[in-house]
This record gives sequence, C-alpha cells and structure tokens, in this order.
Amino acid sequence: MNEEMENFIGLSAVLTGFDSSILAPELDPVDIKSEYLPFFTAKIGQPLLSNLLQQYAKLSGEGLTAQQIGEAMLAPANGADFVLACRQLIFMWYSGAWPILIPASATAPASTVSDLISGNTYAAALVWQVMQSHAMGDSNYRYGYWAKPPAALDEYTGQQGA
Amino acid sequence: MKIHRLLLSRRDARRNLRSIFGALSLCLAQGLMAAPAGTPPPAPLPTLSPRVPLEITVTKPPAKPTLASLQHDFDVFSWQTFVALNWPANADGSPNTGVTIGQAPNDPVVWQDWRESRTIFMPGGTTPAPWGQDSPLPAVCKNINPKTLPPGTLRLTQVGKTPNVLDESGEPFQTGPLIDQNGEYTRYEILTNESMFDYILSNKLYSKAGQKAFNSDADFPSSQVNAKTVGSIMVKSSWIKMGGKFDPGKFHTAYALVYNNPEEQPGVKPSCVLEQVGLVGLHIAHKTQAEPQWVWSTFEHVANAPTQGQKPSLGAYNFFNAACKDCKVNEPPPRPWNPGNRDTPPSQIERVIAITPDAQQLNDAFHKALAAVDPDSVWVNYELVSTQWPTNAGSKVDPTGVPAPSFLANTTLETYIQGDVRQTSSSCMACHNNATTTTGRFSDFTYLLQRAQ
Repeated sequence: MNEEMENFIGLSAVLTGFDSSILAPELDPVDIKSEYLPFFTAKIGQPLLSNLLQQYAKLSGEGLTAQQIGEAMLAPANGADFVLACRQLIFMWYSGAWPILIPASATAPASTVSDLISGNTYAAALVWQVMQSHAMGDSNYRYGYWAKPPAALDEYTGQQGA
Repeated sequence: MKIHRLLLSRRDARRNLRSIFGALSLCLAQGLMAAPAGTPPPAPLPTLSPRVPLEITVTKPPAKPTLASLQHDFDVFSWQTFVALNWPANADGSPNTGVTIGQAPNDPVVWQDWRESRTIFMPGGTTPAPWGQDSPLPAVCKNINPKTLPPGTLRLTQVGKTPNVLDESGEPFQTGPLIDQNGEYTRYEILTNESMFDYILSNKLYSKAGQKAFNSDADFPSSQVNAKTVGSIMVKSSWIKMGGKFDPGKFHTAYALVYNNPEEQPGVKPSCVLEQVGLVGLHIAHKTQAEPQWVWSTFEHVANAPTQGQKPSLGAYNFFNAACKDCKVNEPPPRPWNPGNRDTPPSQIERVIAITPDAQQLNDAFHKALAAVDPDSVWVNYELVSTQWPTNAGSKVDPTGVPAPSFLANTTLETYIQGDVRQTSSSCMACHNNATTTTGRFSDFTYLLQRAQ
C-alpha cells in the first residue's frame, strides 16, 4: 500500500469503527479498497481528498485515540465540505453506494438516495457485517446457517469488545 | 521459447528436435553460444517427482509473503501435484519410479486407478467393492468382456460435469454439453483417491441410509506433513474422442468405455462403446492441513480455446473454429441434448479470464522440464490455468476462506459460467462450499455424497 492508500484506510477505519485489517486485509483478493479510493477521489476531488488525508495523518501522528481522531475529523470547524466528505466516506463503506443529497422542494423534504457503485461494493458493504449477516442474494454461508447463531460481532468488525 | 505453444505431436517433436540440434550445431560453429559477461545463469528446471506434495512450500520467509508470492507457491504445488498424479503407474496403481512422467506413454497414470464415483455410489446403496478390487461394468456394457479391456480403461458416463442430482437442487449455474470440433460430446468422470474412498467406506457415506446414521458434517482427512500421509484428493477429468481432427499424439490418451446414460437426458438411448479418448481438462482438489477449504488446481490441454480479446495463437483448437465468424461464443448447444447424436454443431469456446503471466512462466518452466525428459512427451501440451486457495482459511465469518483468485474456470468443465460475476461465475470454493449430504449436512466441499442411493 502506498502512503495515500494507507491514510485512506486509516481514516476509513477511524470513521467506520472497523479495524483496518477488515477493510484492507494483508491478503486481499477482493481488494475493495482499490475500487473505493479512486471512486471517492473522483467524487470529492483530489484537493479535498488530500486535505482529508493530511489532516488524518497529522492527528494520527499526535497519538490520539481513534475516537478522538474521528471527533476531530467531524468537527464543524473543518468546514462543511470537509465534514460532508467524511460522512460520505462512512456512507460509502457501509452501503457500498454513494449518497446523493436531494434538497427540499416545495412538495418534498430533503432526502438522501443511494447510487450503488458496483456489485462488489454491494456485497462488501459493512452494513451486512454489522448485522452479522450477508448481502441479500450473496451469501458465503453454508446450507442451514440460519439455524445457528452467527459469529461474534468482533469477528466481523475486527474490534475487540465490539 | 514458449514450449506450450508449440503443441507438439511426437512426429512434430522429432522434426523440431532435428531442427534445434541443427541450429545448435550452427550456433556452436559460429561461436554464438557464449553468454555475455554478467548474464545470470539460467534458472534450474523444476524437479519432476512422483511424490504428491503434502503442503504448500512458502518461498518468501523471512520477508512477508504477498498475495502474488503465495499464488505462485500454490501454483507450484499444483504443478507438483499434476506431475505426481500423472506419473506412470504400476499395476497396483502406485507410481512406477523406474520411469519418469512422459515415459511409458501407453501406461495408465496414477490417478486413473482411483475410484470412479459410479463404483462408489452403487444402485440401492449397496456396499462398494473394496479399494483395489474391480467393480462390475455398467449393465449397458455387458457385451464387453472386462478381461479384454486395456489397463486403466475409464468408464465415462457423464456428458456434463454437474450430475443430475445437482440439477434437481436448483443449482443456479447454466450448464450444458460441450461439443468438440469433430461434433462429438465431451465426456467427464470424477474419481477419488484411497484416503477419500476409505473415509466414505468406513463411515458408510456411500448410501443414503449410511449418511442418515452418520448424522454429522463430513470431514475428509487432510494431508499431514508430520505423519507424511496423503489426504483426500478428488479429480475431475474431461475427455474427447480421438480421431478426425484430433491427433492422439498430442494428447494423454486412454481407452474408455463411453456409454450414453438414458437417465441423463430424455431421449438418450443406452449404448456403450470402447473408444480411445484424449484428456482435455483436469481438476485436482486436494485437502491439506492448512487449507480445510481444499486447494483447487485446474489444468487444460493448450489447444482447448483461445483467450477472449486476444488473437488466436494456434491454427486449430479443440473447441474453437477461427473461421466461424457467426458462431455464438460460450453458449451451450440448443436442446434437446443427446450424446448419441453425431455431428452436433461444435461449440465455439473462448477463455474469459486469461492465464496470468506468472502462471504462464511457470507453465513454460515445467514444460521445459518435461521436454528435457522426453521431447515427445504429451505433457508439454497441458497447462495450469490457476490454483484457487483460501487466503483466510480460519475465517469465522466466511467459511469459503476468502478464495484467491475469486474466480476460476476450466473451459471444458465450467465452460458456460466463466467470468467474474459474484455468485454466478465459476468459483470452485464458493460453489463447493454449498455442498451437502443427502441429509442436508455439510459434505466438506464435495457434491459426490449427493449421489448416494
């Protein structure tokens, strides 16, 4: 992993609550990170991405906890675009989709709709992991799994005590 | 020189050898053979051994192995296994260590003495014959005297890899027969080694009643490095009839009892004919200690099909006709399917996922080693497509162990489900992870136990 990808995964881990070893395993044949980073970059632009990752690297270098880094990244003082990009990053990892914000109109309140990125991101979306389940129509569990309890949540998130 | 692209017949090989020796003599005479200073010595040829490897040898330590380095190590394991299983066999099925692979070309090879599934899962769930004993011929072959059959005669009964029982379970893959350039159906068989057979026999998993009494998930023995024991291995092979456009000198051949099974498709009339057939595809699944999801290796004859998007490099293929411009690619023939029908329009097959450059280099290296033993060796005409292995074998959230590569297909065994679409395209481990016994218990990555009666 190059430095940009390392920071992208580090920031993603902080914001999603998943361990970086789950988001980017050492042996990673699925390699969903390599789909997300260029997509995210194209959506928010390279300058803002660089700003996000530099800020994350700075905070990470100060020895702060993941919780403290996350709160600092989402602080309003960073600016609306900066915070929105962080939230979009969370949305992307959890849903495998990109959020499209639809402003309120005379007839409807503001809303968010999802634009699915790919079949791979759909299956890799973290929401399924948090549910200790699998994407609808895409299961690697064995026949009869539904009759057994799932693995512990920390097996999915990589975070002890999750 | 890419040996695998030469597609040598024995006659071609002799001619080429004469040419090579001629060129070598010329080079020596002209002093062209001296290597420039600083040129690294050529890499040593891979060792050819009749010993089945028990585990993958990781070559990277002390540096941390990578996905690419491990893929290479698994691919080496695949080739070593392929060489060991295709070693000429003694009458008892053990490797004949007096010769090397490629020598004694008319002898059966080690895996051809293994147990064909039809001789394990008997009608009525009766007990199969012990290992090493002949099983009765299928009824439709009763006009053939078993004592007249050449050693290693195969009994090819399937015209599609997926057995009927899988079709009935609503298996989502689109399967169909594969027709060669002679208009003949490709034939298949599945065999198990002694370790796997013994587990089935000792636990009475050969019958529905036995599986019901077993009432547990299957757990076949894996190879053990410390005990130096070979664990469970199963082989799926695909064959085409020799003759017509196919020169038997370019294939590993065998004599097979090819019979058309009326239970496979409506309208099929039973028949049984002794034919010379040539190997075109070989899956090897090996359960190792560190890979409980098994290691899945797949090999093909180099002339099966060109790779999609690349210019065909051979003049003729087993399942592709460059002159046919309006042939539909990778589509099964229209129904009704009947292997008894001669001159069915040939399939037009292309490989969807290219063999990686690293696997190609490994193929070249093993081809050179095989050719060094015998320039006439038919084994230089077989190539590794890839090896699928678990990157996280102990994962508690993904029982497939997160396979690498994510997709793997043999153009003769998963012809119509090649590609990279999740839950649709061929993935050995993702598919076989769903396999169960007839009681719905996990059958340890084999669908064979579904054949029990």
